[in-house]
Amino acid sequence: MATLVAGQTAPPPRSKFWRDVRRNLWPYVFISPFYLLYAVFGIFPLLYGLWLSFHTWDGISPMEWVGAENYSTLLFDDIWWKTIYNTVWLFFGATVPQLTIALILAFIINTPYIRGKDIFRAAYFMPIVASAVAVALIFNSLFGERYGILNHALSYVGLGPIDWLGSRHWLKPSIALVTIWQWTGYTMVIYLAGLQSINPELYEAARVDGALTRHIFRHITLPLLRPVILFQVILSIIGAMQNFDIPVMLAGGTQSSAPGGTDRAGLVSMVLIYWTAFKYTQFGYAAAMAFVLFVLIVLFSFLYNRWQGRNPTD
Amino acid sequence: MEKVSRRNFLRMTAAVGGLSLLAACAAPAGQPAAGGEAAAAEPVEVTFWWWDDGGNIWADGYAEVNPAVKVNFVNTPFADAHDKLLTSFAAGSGAPDVASIEIGRVGGFTAKGGLIDLKEVFDAGQFEQDMVKYKWTQGSTEDGRLVCMPWDIGPAGVWYRTDLFEAAGYPTEPAEIEALIGGAERTWDDFFAFAKEFKEKSGGTTSLFANAGTDIYGAVYRQQGEGYQEGNKILIEEKATRPFQLAAQARNENIDANIGWWGAEWDAGLADNAFAGMVIAAWMQGGLTRNHPDLVGKWRVIRAPEANYNWGGSFTAIPEQSQVRDAAWEFVKWSCCTADGQNLLFKATGVMPAYKPAWQDPLYSEPVEFFGGQAAYQIWTEIADNIPAILRTPNDLQLDDIVGAELTKVLEEGKDPVQAAIDAEAEALNRIKDTVA
Repeated sequence: MATLVAGQTAPPPRSKFWRDVRRNLWPYVFISPFYLLYAVFGIFPLLYGLWLSFHTWDGISPMEWVGAENYSTLLFDDIWWKTIYNTVWLFFGATVPQLTIALILAFIINTPYIRGKDIFRAAYFMPIVASAVAVALIFNSLFGERYGILNHALSYVGLGPIDWLGSRHWLKPSIALVTIWQWTGYTMVIYLAGLQSINPELYEAARVDGALTRHIFRHITLPLLRPVILFQVILSIIGAMQNFDIPVMLAGGTQSSAPGGTDRAGLVSMVLIYWTAFKYTQFGYAAAMAFVLFVLIVLFSFLYNRWQGRNPTD
Repeated sequence: MEKVSRRNFLRMTAAVGGLSLLAACAAPAGQPAAGGEAAAAEPVEVTFWWWDDGGNIWADGYAEVNPAVKVNFVNTPFADAHDKLLTSFAAGSGAPDVASIEIGRVGGFTAKGGLIDLKEVFDAGQFEQDMVKYKWTQGSTEDGRLVCMPWDIGPAGVWYRTDLFEAAGYPTEPAEIEALIGGAERTWDDFFAFAKEFKEKSGGTTSLFANAGTDIYGAVYRQQGEGYQEGNKILIEEKATRPFQLAAQARNENIDANIGWWGAEWDAGLADNAFAGMVIAAWMQGGLTRNHPDLVGKWRVIRAPEANYNWGGSFTAIPEQSQVRDAAWEFVKWSCCTADGQNLLFKATGVMPAYKPAWQDPLYSEPVEFFGGQAAYQIWTEIADNIPAILRTPNDLQLDDIVGAELTKVLEEGKDPVQAAIDAEAEALNRIKDTVA
């Protein structure tokens, strides 16, 4: 079997290209569904969004080229930067705790003296299966200022009542609470899979050397789990920047007279993008927002990768 | 066999991807181009979008009136019904033959293309005198076209519960309550004074209404006619200041129950007698009947203080994409512009017609069970026709949100109402400067 590396032999590229195509027609045909769909639903919308962000467009009338005006407006749009602040706040207030709790839970469940691992795993994983609407319904009643169970429980210890969804100071913590509740189990299961790939002999050797559990966690589990953590954190950065359903349900949706909660304390970027496009019908401006958000996601992921991504054995 | 090199694979990907794009762009809109003159054997199909299963009532009803047209009703959930319509305009295909558009979103459609002028293309002009005036204005464009046909209206008033009024030692008949609050010339101040007294008499546990934002702001603002923009003028300071002040007053004097609308708290509060009434529109009857059947018959309604107002309501429209415009218009004409069509839906769902001749039906003077035998529909028809009207604009939703955000600060954080209105106006001017000269 001959391996042909491009550039090794140098016949006219065009004819060679088509010769390759003819020769390998069937493999191309068989893998075509992926890249056809990717082109139509991935690449094209992305490029079209970029193109759109240099226009003003209301969705009906013809598009109008405005150059970089959308971007320069966005730079000084205080509501936009507030949503970025809210989004980043929720990353540190919800995603970071969720990743931490999930790691600790996974470590505990992975220890040999826990019985009924499957039950715990299933129980923690359950919230991710719940539909967003059901979650919203349940938490809206839990968070009720007057009739909510949370405030009822707090009243027994002499606290509250807290206006969970009305006060600008409590709205983001409330959203964070639901996010942590919903996503911890999912993250935990991924960590568990990573933990199970760690050779138990390493733990045994550490024990023999007299290491305590916290030493084992710090010096064996964490370093060896690093690739899994990296993967999970980057996914979480992407997920957190695109946070949509929980904020929209707790902080006032399309029909609410309090959009985004008191002083927009619960308005996140994705929700503003959606509203700007479909409520305010400023598709060009929304596309600019989406593209800036995309750049921010890439930037944050890249920075994290630079910080934590190098192999510990390097 | 040769392996595919990476570079060639990428080339290949790009080539096939490009082809697929071409194919996607060239895809035909494959709609049957049937005219209105189809044979009876093969009915013309008209697609109709609405966000309520009540659409089937019209579809079935029209099948009996006009067998030559078959109405295919599609329930498009409200949350994304308008987005879907907008998307189909943007894509150039996929729009229904008859679309439903809600009052909050109508400004986004009247100011732009995509909908047929019902006066120019068809003879919709003949119905102008029959429709509630403000509704006709809202469905029209700045240059006088009518693109959205008035469908239903939401005349609003003060609702109250007789059982809780009785418990607090008040009479229950509407005439007596009106006299207590200040008669025909009652003001919001009279209403607040009564609300205060009511809360005291109930032992401080029951408020007269649930939320200063929804009940008070929602009413006082709409009494001036919905909309914060007229032509290229922003009217927030003019129209929001007093509603802000009154809502803040209600909250500060602790006469609202401080319970947000349309959530678990509101339902719990209603069951717990936390509030004895509401300031809301006719369409609330449907939801209350479904969710709180035990309260049916205990409600009464009187006019709101100071002025009549309307909250909500919808329009039907025919997108330019429609291939069966004539049949679509026949359906729109029957459903929105005849007493038969309008009252068929009204009887089933309580959706109040904007078409005034429909009110001639004896149905409208009959006692209503939901309101304990009060002739409430009569009141709705009296309220409906004297409401200020301004054109809707595409900025309506954004302006609503700007004002809504300031309202949260007024109610939750005690921000000065006058300053809040000034700030909202400034932000509106800053954000929509393109359209406001």
